[in-house]
Amino acid sequence: MKLAFEAEKCIGCRLCHLACSGVKENIFNPSLSRLKVASEYLNGGLVITASLCSGCLSCAEACPTGAISGENGVPVVDADICTGCGECANACPEGVIVMPPDGRPRLCDFCGGEPVCVQWCPQGALTAEV
Amino acid sequence: MGYINSVLRVNLTTGEISREGLNRKWADLYYGGKGLGIKYLYQELEPGTDPLSDGNKIILLTGPFTGTIVPCSGKLSVVTKSPLNGAALDCSVGGNIAGELKYAGYDMVILEGKSPEPVYLVIEDGEASLMEAGFLWGRGTLDTEKELLKLHGEGARVLSIGPAGENIIPYACLTSELYRQAGRGGAGAVFGSKNIKAVVVRGTGGVGVADMPGLLKAAQKAMREDLLTDTNLWAYTDGTPMLVEMSQNSGILPTRNFQQATFEGFESLASPSMQKARAGKKACLSCGLGCGNYTVKGAARVEGPEYETLSIGGSNCGIADLEAVVKFNALCDDLGLDTISMGSTIAFAMEMTEKGIKDLGLRFGDVSSYLEAPELVAFRKGKGMELALGVRGLSERYGGREFAMQVKGLEFPGYEPRGSWGMGLAYATAPRGACHMSAWPVAEEAYGERDPYTVEGKAGLVADLQHYNALKFSLILCDFWALSFDLMAELLTPILGREVAAGELELAGERIFNLLRLFNTREGFTGKDDTLPDRIFNQGLVGGPGAGKILPREEFTKMLGEYYRLRGWDANGIPEKDTLIRLELT
Repeated sequence: MKLAFEAEKCIGCRLCHLACSGVKENIFNPSLSRLKVASEYLNGGLVITASLCSGCLSCAEACPTGAISGENGVPVVDADICTGCGECANACPEGVIVMPPDGRPRLCDFCGGEPVCVQWCPQGALTAEV
Repeated sequence: MGYINSVLRVNLTTGEISREGLNRKWADLYYGGKGLGIKYLYQELEPGTDPLSDGNKIILLTGPFTGTIVPCSGKLSVVTKSPLNGAALDCSVGGNIAGELKYAGYDMVILEGKSPEPVYLVIEDGEASLMEAGFLWGRGTLDTEKELLKLHGEGARVLSIGPAGENIIPYACLTSELYRQAGRGGAGAVFGSKNIKAVVVRGTGGVGVADMPGLLKAAQKAMREDLLTDTNLWAYTDGTPMLVEMSQNSGILPTRNFQQATFEGFESLASPSMQKARAGKKACLSCGLGCGNYTVKGAARVEGPEYETLSIGGSNCGIADLEAVVKFNALCDDLGLDTISMGSTIAFAMEMTEKGIKDLGLRFGDVSSYLEAPELVAFRKGKGMELALGVRGLSERYGGREFAMQVKGLEFPGYEPRGSWGMGLAYATAPRGACHMSAWPVAEEAYGERDPYTVEGKAGLVADLQHYNALKFSLILCDFWALSFDLMAELLTPILGREVAAGELELAGERIFNLLRLFNTREGFTGKDDTLPDRIFNQGLVGGPGAGKILPREEFTKMLGEYYRLRGWDANGIPEKDTLIRLELT
């Protein structure tokens, strides 16, 4: 599974951040969101960017304890084995793995096939590709 | 839940920064934003305080929806005593800074006193400090924001003033994210008078709610079935420029200082012209609509112009050149001036010239003098010294009061009341003066099905809309989502974890509106101030379907009397004791 993003449709509302943190963390906190979308005026223009889990599983490869496994490009963390070392976050080419103070990495798991970020995107900028 | 229960209080005189609990009793009665702000201001301000003195306070507020997934909840409220007219002032500004403030651990910030030196306030995850701002003084808001983001990180959000605020122009505004403003009534001048250049906020905390699954379900349904529907989606497809053509067709497009109700050059300012120049769309935090139009026209660029700027800074100045209006908008944003009051003031000066009263070098339709004005005002240079007085000040100095388009010192926004009589009542009774945010009956009159040229039923319509907006801007929701009290209650219930009834919200709206009235009454405003410029009563409209119409003074007086009675106010417009008891305002 993969998330796809069309920048020209994004209005920068960050409902995706709010949905992700609300559903996964039970609190609205964009900094805990497992994707990053930004719409900012930079260098005299409106620049829209997104970082999304691509399902590359670099995190699983980087994990020194084998705590991250992946099936069909969906990473799963075994909390009993994870030491919270943060190697997965360092290795993530998209920079979307969140390492909160509790030391447990937050990885996008595509919400079991129905990503809430997609469900909340009001303008269809985010879509899921199976 | 829904609140952080934390207030940041900053004494700019002593530099003392303290944290205190949110007054929960007040939060229960006023919710947040506009309502809670006016409650704090009413309780804490000495009556008669000079708005530009160290005795005034300026309060930045969030509401129970702020920072949550409730759509269109991204705006920050700003409450203070207006330096333009001494009335209660509340504005709101979009972007992301309101959510950021809550993520940083605060429901609201109270700024009081006056700093001996220019400073800016930094709030980072609960910690707050005042920093020296000498290096920012004199710089525009674009530059200021860029510099502060360099110093405090890209994730930070900035609220700042430009040179207009520093130089205490009474219609200076506050800017956030370059192009969004708490525009009206001079909040920027209050910042300037206190020597505070900016507030920078960065927060990585969160906002909890009582019932997360319940809220997610209610908000998703509200977004799909109520928000993203034809009623509201104009905000995405067109945004407020859509109103240019609607105002032209209904004969309420302010033209040449309200001398005409239609503009021959309206097409160059209307939505199709704006769409051709559109370079992007931008929303506030949590908004599914994204009304912001990033516009690039020739060498000019801005997020906007909104309808108020297209009308008051366009047709009302006789300017039919979109690039000029985009430039005007960008200049005002960077200098930190309210485009409505600036445009209205220019238009008034243009008519003064035309009438031979005073020539400040401005002529209807002349682009170059029009584009020179904002900078002269912001730096109080040359004729800018005079224009800084605003419409009322200029008319008091030179004359022309009958066509000085202002109420209580606040300049008219973009709706002609002779072509929408309820809007006349809304202007006359709005707490901050001629204001389109207190009530917007044009939607039902000029733009809708109700007869715009009658006072029948308008007192009740305006009062109801005033309660609705007062409550909506306290929860804080955006103006552009036309949702019901029932739906607001459905969304608030899972946040607070208690059953909220629509009636409770409506009553709170009335309570908030009455408290604003009590504030103004305490400051010496009376029913005599609830009036309109003579032009509205005496001169027939030129152009459009309402050509020849006036708003007859006796009809206006009748409507105002009915409005006072409906409100439970006496003949002088002062709330009666029974009204105050009913609204828990004693």
